[in-house]
Amino acid sequence: MNKSINRAYLAPLSPQMKIFELVERAPSVLSIFSRLDIRLPFGDISVAEMCEREGYTTELFLALCSIHASEGFRPDTEALSEDILPEVISYLRASHRYYAEKMLPHTSEHLQEILEHCDALSRSMLRRFYDDYMEYIVNHFLEEEEHLFSIIDSASTGKADLSILDVPHADIDDRSNDIASLIFKSLPEDAPTKLRIVTLEHIYALRDDLRRHNSVERYILKPLVDKYLQKK
Amino acid sequence: MKRQRVAIVEIAPVIAEGMATILGRTASAEVVGIYRSIGEVIPHIAAGRVDIVFASVALYRQLEECSELDDIAVVGIQSALYGEDILRRFNAIVTIHFSAEDIERTLNDTITAPAERSYSDSHELSERERDVLILVARGLTNKEIASELNISPHTVISHRKNIVHKTGIRSVAGLTVYAVLNKLIDSEQL
Repeated sequence: MNKSINRAYLAPLSPQMKIFELVERAPSVLSIFSRLDIRLPFGDISVAEMCEREGYTTELFLALCSIHASEGFRPDTEALSEDILPEVISYLRASHRYYAEKMLPHTSEHLQEILEHCDALSRSMLRRFYDDYMEYIVNHFLEEEEHLFSIIDSASTGKADLSILDVPHADIDDRSNDIASLIFKSLPEDAPTKLRIVTLEHIYALRDDLRRHNSVERYILKPLVDKYLQKK
Repeated sequence: MKRQRVAIVEIAPVIAEGMATILGRTASAEVVGIYRSIGEVIPHIAAGRVDIVFASVALYRQLEECSELDDIAVVGIQSALYGEDILRRFNAIVTIHFSAEDIERTLNDTITAPAERSYSDSHELSERERDVLILVARGLTNKEIASELNISPHTVISHRKNIVHKTGIRSVAGLTVYAVLNKLIDSEQL
């Protein structure tokens, strides 16, 4: 076994890393490029160079990538300035759009394909369950955005209400798991296995991505707002 | 909610410290100590200083020998494969692969509705669990279900915990879909 390769994989992501190296190590960060609408660079430039070109704070970009690469990662918010709060909020809003316009509808399309093979009752019950789930998530985002805006507006007067950020996305997580359990255990056997597997993959990918989104809110956004308010 | 006083009993320092850090960050727990054996924690339980024990599953034999643990919730920390007969001696299980959120959720579930230790091996719902599920799907509260089935609300909670464990479904809406798809209830009864 090549020990130097092992050590490299344990090392934190760094500003000097080449973009390709970053993506190769943690392919899940590609979705960050997608939601921030970052152009993939021509040739091989470093993370710091790309962030400078795109106008993003390198430390924040690396913290986001680290959370996407490893759900348990906890960024050192002491090293992040509260001045980047608007950038964090902009990322979270872009992420909300990514779920609402891409991940949720794609998963819905795959589910619909399975439902075509089910009886009318299963079809209508599961369709309604998924539609309620989608609506619940989108409403949750809207509520968050109202609060996030209020954070920006009221942080300057020291009256920000951060309680919404203390609530883990447990309900969303539960509903994602519920849908997966129903597709796995309770669909008639004539629902094609290949379609069920593809849909389950999408549901679990959505659930895991939402968990990371929650980590960004709890471990980057909230400490930075706290820090901002303490300095007021 | 009152913060639960958690004692951790774990031989591996990395796991013990990691679990203590994660639990310490939650709003619902306060870690009162890390111990290397069940025997070390017993005096603290006897003195009423511990509400929940997080203990390595590897210590399951020590767990059996201490009757002081009968009245306290014990969450197993699983770092290797064990049979269901061993795992069911704990109120709940967290594995070392759990995310911080999963650990927090297991803690909160254990606080609000501790499952009976020694639940059934079967993933089939018992007749009583089916009765409870049907009433949940019809929108009844725990108190109403208890009254309807002539059992205590605590027993209803225990059945609901088993239903979640066996079906993998937590939300009432999801359980309702499950009940219909599995033909336990007619959609017209909803």
